[in-house]
Amino acid sequence: MRQRPTLQRRLAVLLLITVPLIWLVSTAVAAYEAHHEVDELYDTQLTLFARQLLSVNMGERGDDPLPVLPKTKKLIRGGDRGEMEDDDIGVAVWNEAGDLLLSDGKGRHFSFDAARRGFYTVSGQDDTDEWRLFYLPAPDGSRLVAVGQRQKLRHEVVLKVIQGQLLPWLLGLPVLLLLILWAVRQGLRPLQLLADNLAGRSPQERSPLPENVPGEVLPMVRALNALLARIAEAMEHERRFTADAAHELRTPLAALQVQAEVMALMPDEAGRQHALALLQQGIGRATRLVEQLLALSRLDPLQGLPAAQPVDWAVVCRDAMADVAAAAADKNMQLQLNWQDSPAQVLPLTGDATLLTLMLRNLLDNAVRYCPAAACIELQAAATGIVVRDNGPGIAPEWLARVHERFFRPPGQDMPGSGLGLSIVERIASLHGLRLQLANRPEGGLQVSLHVA
Amino acid sequence: MRILVVEDDPLIGDGLKMGLGQLGFVVDWFRQGREGLAALAAAPFDAVVLDLGLPGMDGMDILAAWRQAGQDVPVLVLTARDTLDERLQGLDAGADDYLVKPFALSEVAARLRALIRRRHGQSVSRLVHGAVSFDPVARTAWLDDKALELTARELALLELLLSSKGRVLSRELIEEKLYGWGQELESNAVEVYVHHLRKKLGAGFIRTQRGVGYALGEPQ
Repeated sequence: MRQRPTLQRRLAVLLLITVPLIWLVSTAVAAYEAHHEVDELYDTQLTLFARQLLSVNMGERGDDPLPVLPKTKKLIRGGDRGEMEDDDIGVAVWNEAGDLLLSDGKGRHFSFDAARRGFYTVSGQDDTDEWRLFYLPAPDGSRLVAVGQRQKLRHEVVLKVIQGQLLPWLLGLPVLLLLILWAVRQGLRPLQLLADNLAGRSPQERSPLPENVPGEVLPMVRALNALLARIAEAMEHERRFTADAAHELRTPLAALQVQAEVMALMPDEAGRQHALALLQQGIGRATRLVEQLLALSRLDPLQGLPAAQPVDWAVVCRDAMADVAAAAADKNMQLQLNWQDSPAQVLPLTGDATLLTLMLRNLLDNAVRYCPAAACIELQAAATGIVVRDNGPGIAPEWLARVHERFFRPPGQDMPGSGLGLSIVERIASLHGLRLQLANRPEGGLQVSLHVA
Repeated sequence: MRILVVEDDPLIGDGLKMGLGQLGFVVDWFRQGREGLAALAAAPFDAVVLDLGLPGMDGMDILAAWRQAGQDVPVLVLTARDTLDERLQGLDAGADDYLVKPFALSEVAARLRALIRRRHGQSVSRLVHGAVSFDPVARTAWLDDKALELTARELALLELLLSSKGRVLSRELIEEKLYGWGQELESNAVEVYVHHLRKKLGAGFIRTQRGVGYALGEPQ
């Protein structure tokens, strides 16, 4: 398997490339600077030396043999300090005719040229090395002095400077690398701990990750914690849904089974009739549950409304009211339809009249079902929205947020129901771009409103 | 045997009350969590059938409150919540048994009998005293292997006496075990049933402890 690029490896490679490059550049600059300084220094020395030679009165020796000094170390024992060999420097003094008056070192090999003035770089006798020469004539032109130095000397000084620089760099590079890798490893330790923490978790564990991590990692940890919280919420929602669904689907079956057994057990006709009535009631409840489930399963896959038509709310409201009228009459309830605006102005939208009727019927059916006898139920239609109001018991505040969840029913219902009615309403509403809102009325009862989202 | 049923669904609750009543239990049924919670301490119940999703107070909370108050009445939990976690949670909270809806009424009755039997330290279901024996499942009594014709209340009194060997039962306790709340009861009902049983099983079968109550006589 190909190794993944790690921060450590990347940093190491980067350092191994850049550090030598930086060293190369800085060395080049240093070499150039050193060369310049050394040139200046030695040139000054050559100049001074030449001037001193000129200022010394050598007199006219005439036929005197040319004075040649032995090597310095022969003159003084141990007097030869410094690296400079006598062969590496030279001095020559000529008269105007070009006769050599004085020479030392390699000076006798310097060439006489009365026209020369100042610095020259020439090649030596064997052409392998270069010499730096300084020619200085006397003011009266009677003498010409030349002092010179092998260029090699200067190169050596520069080389020493560069070598002096190289060592700390060469020693420093591995130390620097190790230090940086150590720092990276230390800096990334919290990530490893984080990974260990995550790897060791059970799927049920939803506690947030510790936030005692470096600032660079904190945003990731926070994002992970937010994700964990969302997952926990989703799982809790799922768990509640499963529990509610199990309850709503199993309870009607349990009721049927119990009542069927009771019917078989009852010794008297009255008892059997009682059980039979409850059995039929249970079958009604199971039938309604199946119908609601089918309605929802037909609604769920819909992406939009394929046959949307302008909606005639007068027809929709009338049909929905008619569907629940019998049940309302049984409970001696007042059912009112209240037009705030003319039917043509009410919630102008295109949609499916059958679905909208089903939506309103579910809302009215809920009101009839859960309100006590003789309650007042009002369907109000306005340009801004549709509202169903009742003066029943309302919904306990702790359940208000959950009643639209599928299969959820507040515990302790006398009336049979599927826990799906509001889910159906909400689905149809959202297909039509409407939003469902439930609120307990301050004066008592429930108000369900549908507005454009 | 008197059973407390706490179940909010009207059809299931009614079915349990009627069905268990036919199977020889005396049943009191409550639909509200808080009522059920308070009812347990108000009468000598032999066992409880408890639903979990209840209005007012969740079944699990009721169970925890009972156990905290030191109530050791066997509790059979009935619920639609069937995941392992939920079952474990219920058993850990002090439930003695667990039935998932939908359930068979006969299974509820059998489990209740087993819970009550276990509580009384009995391992066999048939109760025997001398020549008299009683099968709580078949709800039949025998005297010397001859099946007896007994009414439901007479059977209930016989069962109560047989499962309380060595104890003297007060008239009030017998009334409470034989009648649920809201059931009509003549003031001398217990005396009448004792009289009937003595007539069918022999005068010495039930001993009267003056001023205290009734107990089983010496086995014959």
